[in-house]
Amino acid sequence: MMRRRLRSAVVHVLVWVAFVIVVFPYFWMFLTSLKPYWLITSPNVWIFRPVLDNWREVIFESKLPLYLLNSLIVGGTVALVSVAVGSLAAYSFSRFNTGGVPARFAILAAQMLPPVVLVISIFLMMYHLRLLKTYVGIIVAHLSFILPLVTWFLIGFFDEVPRELEEQAMVDGYTRFQAFYKVVLPNVRAGAAAAGIFGFVLSWNDFFYALILTGGPTKTLPVAVAGFWTFRGIEMGQMAAAIIVAIVPVAVASFFVQKYLVKGLGGGLKY
Amino acid sequence: MGRRAIVPLKYKMVIPLVLLLLAVLIYPMGSSLLVSFQDYRLTALRERHFVGFDNYLRIPRDARFWNAMSNTLIFVSSAVFLEFVFGFGLALLLHRRVRMRNFFRSVLLTPMFITPVAVGLIFRFMLNSEFGIIPYLLRSLGIEVDFFATSPLALFSIVFIDVWQWTPFMMLLLLAGLESLPREPFEAARVDGASAWFTFRKVTFPLMRPVIVVAVIIRMLDAFKVFEYLYVITRGGPGNSTESIMYYIYRVGFRFFRMGEAAAMSYVLALIILLLVFLEFQLLRMARST
Amino acid sequence: MKRLGLFVSFLAVMSLAALGAKTLTIIMEEVPDTDVIRQLIPEFEAQNPDLKIVIDAMPYEAMRDKILTEFLAPVSSYDIVIVDNPWTDEFAAGGFLVDLTDRVMALEGYDFEDFAKPIREIGIYEGRIFGLPFYNYALAMIVRQDVFDEAGIPIPTNIADYVKVCRQLTNKEEGFYGAAMQAKRGYKIFEEGKNYMYALGADVFDDEGNIVINSHLAKAALHLYIANLEAAAPKGAINWGFDEAFRLMAAGKAATMITYNWMLPSLNNPEKTGELAGKFAFYEVPGGKAVLGAWYWSIPRNAADIEASWRFISWVTSKAVEKKRVILGGAPVRMSVLKDPKVWEKGYGKQYYLTLVKILEDAEPLVRGLHAEEIIETVGLEMNNAAAGIKTVDKALDDAAKAIAEIIGK
Repeated sequence: MMRRRLRSAVVHVLVWVAFVIVVFPYFWMFLTSLKPYWLITSPNVWIFRPVLDNWREVIFESKLPLYLLNSLIVGGTVALVSVAVGSLAAYSFSRFNTGGVPARFAILAAQMLPPVVLVISIFLMMYHLRLLKTYVGIIVAHLSFILPLVTWFLIGFFDEVPRELEEQAMVDGYTRFQAFYKVVLPNVRAGAAAAGIFGFVLSWNDFFYALILTGGPTKTLPVAVAGFWTFRGIEMGQMAAAIIVAIVPVAVASFFVQKYLVKGLGGGLKY
Repeated sequence: MGRRAIVPLKYKMVIPLVLLLLAVLIYPMGSSLLVSFQDYRLTALRERHFVGFDNYLRIPRDARFWNAMSNTLIFVSSAVFLEFVFGFGLALLLHRRVRMRNFFRSVLLTPMFITPVAVGLIFRFMLNSEFGIIPYLLRSLGIEVDFFATSPLALFSIVFIDVWQWTPFMMLLLLAGLESLPREPFEAARVDGASAWFTFRKVTFPLMRPVIVVAVIIRMLDAFKVFEYLYVITRGGPGNSTESIMYYIYRVGFRFFRMGEAAAMSYVLALIILLLVFLEFQLLRMARST
Repeated sequence: MKRLGLFVSFLAVMSLAALGAKTLTIIMEEVPDTDVIRQLIPEFEAQNPDLKIVIDAMPYEAMRDKILTEFLAPVSSYDIVIVDNPWTDEFAAGGFLVDLTDRVMALEGYDFEDFAKPIREIGIYEGRIFGLPFYNYALAMIVRQDVFDEAGIPIPTNIADYVKVCRQLTNKEEGFYGAAMQAKRGYKIFEEGKNYMYALGADVFDDEGNIVINSHLAKAALHLYIANLEAAAPKGAINWGFDEAFRLMAAGKAATMITYNWMLPSLNNPEKTGELAGKFAFYEVPGGKAVLGAWYWSIPRNAADIEASWRFISWVTSKAVEKKRVILGGAPVRMSVLKDPKVWEKGYGKQYYLTLVKILEDAEPLVRGLHAEEIIETVGLEMNNAAAGIKTVDKALDDAAKAIAEIIGK
């Protein structure tokens, strides 16, 4: 009993340490967003009269909310599509070893090339398809590098599911696809949720493709946030406010996806 | 039924993926491969012409390329290693019953949601030797560090930033892996009275292996692209000590307009990465079969 | 049904309005000079009801990449681009920009010669005009006048004195530095260090185009620069850019800074520096000759409607509009405006503009020509190598000379 309690205490301490390391920069950003310009450079000043200009400008006077929405739309679509398409392919790679090892690596090919050498061609392609500055254009471009990663991500999870599960289901009269859809898929829910978050993150953070392929009203958040880094210095206060504004909805969303991720287990398992 | 059966299910399931990749990537990849055999400068497009393997033959003698390559390899191996260790540790911790577990999980994921340019700028401030908060706190403990001023440390400061931002990814993937593990083996181990360490070594780790392979490979692929942090903080300095391969290729191709050379370097880089990923994949697979 | 009809007619009206006014999109970055342009736009739109101006703000570092890709499309989505001075020659030589020469010459009362000479010359490539000056960023020496007055030290006018004074004013224990410096690899260290080279009469190329970056004068200048960095700047400055140096100055922790002339009003703005506002003054860089930077208005060769774009840029750079722009706080490029008492009165005062006239009379960009960007990066890398102690000054500048020879050879 003693030992278990001690272990639980150690676990809690370690989690809190990680929490502090992660949260400390947010705390600093929050402080920075409230400091007057000349105090941002004084780390030893904790008490000052807060300035709300940065928040006012970011929330009411900039188009940041629009760019935030753009990023959510693009990232959400990319996450959904890549998990749907990726789980089909991942299952095939995992169970049938489709195309063998070369095929698995071939889908990663574009992953290994720097975006710099691909982006001009993609730009010209989108131009001729009239997809520049549209959601479709940037979503398709993101899928081209996120989909293979999400597929790889999922292969590991399908590998973990025992084959007996679907064999049993097929004995019970399911077709292979039904066995995949109704038996295997529910078992990788945790993996699929994590893959969705991952796909979303890659799209949400992408700067280079978004810079070249979007513009005006379809601009995404990373391009807008980078805009605080100007020829005349870094607008740290506004940028800090913008980052906090952007993180909150995503953190809340990930809270619920996480819940789903954990609860997905236990219930609903037929075999 | 007859006609539909012509394409087996295993191919049908990869068709959407393959079609999408072909549609988007065949043209860019093909044209960049062509460009890599040309004297192709963006400011002199009318004078472009084929030069055979010239762009490729230049690479072995390009000291900057290999310097950037070795910086990148040091960066990738140390960052991915640390992220794996910390990420696995956190995943194991949060797999247990911890008060406010869901809250911690989602907060610990958040560093991933900040665009790397911004993360770079934030740490450029926080680590600034003169008015950054971290050197300030360290100084009050009697430690004097200048994170970006000297050669090996600057690169490791970049590693540190990467670890802050991407350990959550490892945690996310490995935690999901832990959640998906079958229960029976663990119950069996408990019935047998196995110690926690024994269970971890003999049950958890082997069962997790497929997910671990994937986690390390995906993270490695992404770490090879390190660009934003040094673009924002050091620009590759002091000297050449933090120049990464992506940054070098970007500069040759986009800043200095020499797309032909940049494309050739990209294909050499792709080959190197492919080789590394393949070796790693085989190694981890071999470990599985023994 | 009625509602549908209303909706249809609403759509029709909207699309007519859209057809009526053509949109001109300009790529710019989010800086005070862009805000000044925003304030001027309504006047242009009132005079040109068929045109509507849209500014697409982009991050500075990424603007060049964005502009470059747009040049490669059959039709650019930008009707007007702003071009930084190191890019002008490369963009013009690549055939990406519209030759404005004939239009400029044909425009009555435009007076191209009125732009400060060093500034207008950057917009000219092989005798043809490709860029019209937008705003200058010539370097000046900004000082804490109160610190100098208190110490009874005269403002240094040559570089050796400057280095000596900086050391004298430094008190590292108290966290006060003689010089806020930006020795980050690449553009930044070169932009700052080249003022030292100018002060000793050194340069990258001589008048015949020979590479002289490794001359003994250039080496002496780099020695002085490094001496100042070590004695009078914070240690971390080896990796500092403009932002850090400026913040050191704004926080009251430095006595001097060699930086863009228009940072002076920023420093004297209580929103930025609180109680220190008003204590800053600026002078010519020691030695007199300054590094010059400037932004230009250009029209992409593949713009949809070159005539419409020309209407805007010729209007915004005209004498009358330039005057309004400068009064609103924009950085001047025309001599007539700099010498206009009305501008003095409504702007930052006579002294400010007359000092600026002196600075602009003798100023030169870092490097010009087809490989400007790469040469700047190369010299900036080698200077940083020397400053970080990775190479000796001799070796660094010799290597720079070799590298430049190779770049030009390409």
